[in-house]
Amino acid sequence: MHDTIEARGAGARSPAPASARRRNSRILRALAPLPWIGPAIILIVAVVLWPVVEMVWTSLMRISSSGATLGFRGTGNYHDLFGETDLVSVLLRTVVWVVGVVVVTIVVSLAIGQLLNANFPGRRVVRWAVIVPWAASVLMTALTWKWMLNYYYGVVNKVLKGVGLIDHSVNWLSNPTQALIWMMWVAVFVSLPFTSFVILAGLQTVPQEVYEAARVDGAGRARTYFRITLPLLRPALLVAAIINVINVFNSFPIIYAMTGGGPGSKTDTSTTFMYKLAFSGTGDVGESAAMAVVNFALILILVLLYLRAVGWRGEAQP
Amino acid sequence: MKRHLTGVIAAGLTVTLGLTGCSKGSSSGDSGDSKTIRFVAAIYDDKTKSLWDSLIKTFEAQNKGYKVNLEMVDWTQMDAKVKTYVQTKQTPDILNYNAFADFARDGLLFPTSDVLSPQVSSDILPSFVEGDKYKGTQYGMPLLSSVRLFFYNKDVFKKAGISAPPKTWDEVKTDAQKIKDKGGKGVFPLGLPLGAEESQAEFFMWAMNNGGGYVDQSGNWTIDSQANVDTLNYLKDLSKSGLTQPNPETTDRKDVFNEFAQGKIGMLNGAVFMPAGFINKVNAKLPYAVAPLPTKAGGTPSTLGVQDFLVAFKNGGGKKKDAVSKFLNFFYQTNNVANFQKEEGFLPVTKSAGDVISSAVPYDKPFIDALPNAKFYPTGNAAWGPLANTVKEKLGTAITGDPKSVLSELQQTAQKNG
Repeated sequence: MHDTIEARGAGARSPAPASARRRNSRILRALAPLPWIGPAIILIVAVVLWPVVEMVWTSLMRISSSGATLGFRGTGNYHDLFGETDLVSVLLRTVVWVVGVVVVTIVVSLAIGQLLNANFPGRRVVRWAVIVPWAASVLMTALTWKWMLNYYYGVVNKVLKGVGLIDHSVNWLSNPTQALIWMMWVAVFVSLPFTSFVILAGLQTVPQEVYEAARVDGAGRARTYFRITLPLLRPALLVAAIINVINVFNSFPIIYAMTGGGPGSKTDTSTTFMYKLAFSGTGDVGESAAMAVVNFALILILVLLYLRAVGWRGEAQP
Repeated sequence: MKRHLTGVIAAGLTVTLGLTGCSKGSSSGDSGDSKTIRFVAAIYDDKTKSLWDSLIKTFEAQNKGYKVNLEMVDWTQMDAKVKTYVQTKQTPDILNYNAFADFARDGLLFPTSDVLSPQVSSDILPSFVEGDKYKGTQYGMPLLSSVRLFFYNKDVFKKAGISAPPKTWDEVKTDAQKIKDKGGKGVFPLGLPLGAEESQAEFFMWAMNNGGGYVDQSGNWTIDSQANVDTLNYLKDLSKSGLTQPNPETTDRKDVFNEFAQGKIGMLNGAVFMPAGFINKVNAKLPYAVAPLPTKAGGTPSTLGVQDFLVAFKNGGGKKKDAVSKFLNFFYQTNNVANFQKEEGFLPVTKSAGDVISSAVPYDKPFIDALPNAKFYPTGNAAWGPLANTVKEKLGTAITGDPKSVLSELQQTAQKNG
């Protein structure tokens, strides 16, 4: 910066075409990468930054139920939002939902990943089969489960009665606690394929020599797994966990299709609650945007806390 | 290392925004020329779509160059869809819905006089017109109406040893107990749908027969009145005593109507369209009968009258007024509207169609007789639409929670909106 100003000053006093050309070429050189990174910058601004600005801005506006912007409202929407009687329980439920689904998904996926990595006849078919829940639309899966859990006609009640686990039908999706557990199961079900394959990929990067060395040193199976496999899987687990946290936190179709967050908001997470604030009841887009800002902050905090907890800094350094 | 963090945050931002960022939609929906209109209609039963399809086909054949794009929406999705359309400025040209006053308040609608011919306007039954107005101007056009009555299964009643339908709430409870004891295996005594589909109606029917309701004579909100609290406490008690189907708070109207049609419910607040929409499809020989709604202490029973509306949105500066008006006037021709209401099993809303239907359908008589004592929702109040949505969602929670606090929360919502 300082150089540039001096150069310009010198150029003004005694017009020297050579230095001007040098200056131009320096600017050109600085701008040279732009054609390559420009599209990415435009994309980030358009797809990431602009919506963030718009979201925060909307959360400060007063918006009528028919969508007209009626002017600036300051923190009024946030005041309304924090005055919602259901908010605290919704946020707590969101934590249970995210932590529960992600932990169970990863534990089960570790086992599935190990299975898919083992050598057995028909492995290719099993690998394909594990992908299926991923390929199917989440909404479709959720609706299928909703029907399977139906009180009057659902197959789940029939099966459980048939094997003698329950004596009479249970209205699974009406009791908020049971409904939440079933929806968490569906969320785990749809998260398993991706997570297992990330872990499978991680397992395949572990060199065989390390296992051989462990065998030679007389390490047992459990010791090999916890001291070698698991530590070497950490990068894969890191990716799987972060992506799952974000996905599960934002998961909308499962809850929306299966209970609609009801009765009341007793099975809402903050994502479906945000939708309801805007599109059902009295329909306040401003307040919903305030919820969106809170969600946005939450997910960032959640991810950063996680990175800190797993000692991410040390981990990424090879 | 730094790049990783940026990458993670960027990924987080992108995924997060996938959902959170869509708070403002683009304003499309005005597409097409002024002769093509978009009509969003509600699904009343399996026949609704084909009825509209054939009407539209006739209309398009009679009016060359005009086109109607039909979009059918289920009632359970309707509120969310309409809200989305309005907030994202994708309103249809004609909408079939159960509220309109907040749209009228925001200046989104054509007054009826702009789109209906004088003959059609004067043909609408006067008892409905009052509920079609917002601040003295008519915006809503009644599409159909229904009246609710108490339905009971005669076989179940006979088995349980009940000779006459209950007239008071005490009788409802004792009869329900009899059905529970002797009415047959797998039969639920009383169908009580307080789920999100239509809890505002079910609650209103019980409340009005206890002297409660949404507004008082002068139109002030009275949602948290003692009469309403007592009503919910009574219903909560029925549910707790195992006299209703399980979980009224998540049961939709269509669930109990279906169960009644299959003979699995002893009695419930039914609707005029229940035979056409539910019973005849499953078991046309179901031995049912209708009676007035039971009241708290045996007073004069009143019932719920509902009119659903057609409203015309002023899209794109009203350039489609001509096409919209043509289609509406076509629909309100006596035979078209009468046939639609008859096929759907609803009650007429125009005088001329009323003459056609009442001579053709004797079943409708008790319902038409109940109309003078029918109470309607406060549809002319701009706060009603949003309030009804909140009621649908929250009212059921009173069955597992505290009726008084649920109702006072709803009262606050109503007052906040005007």
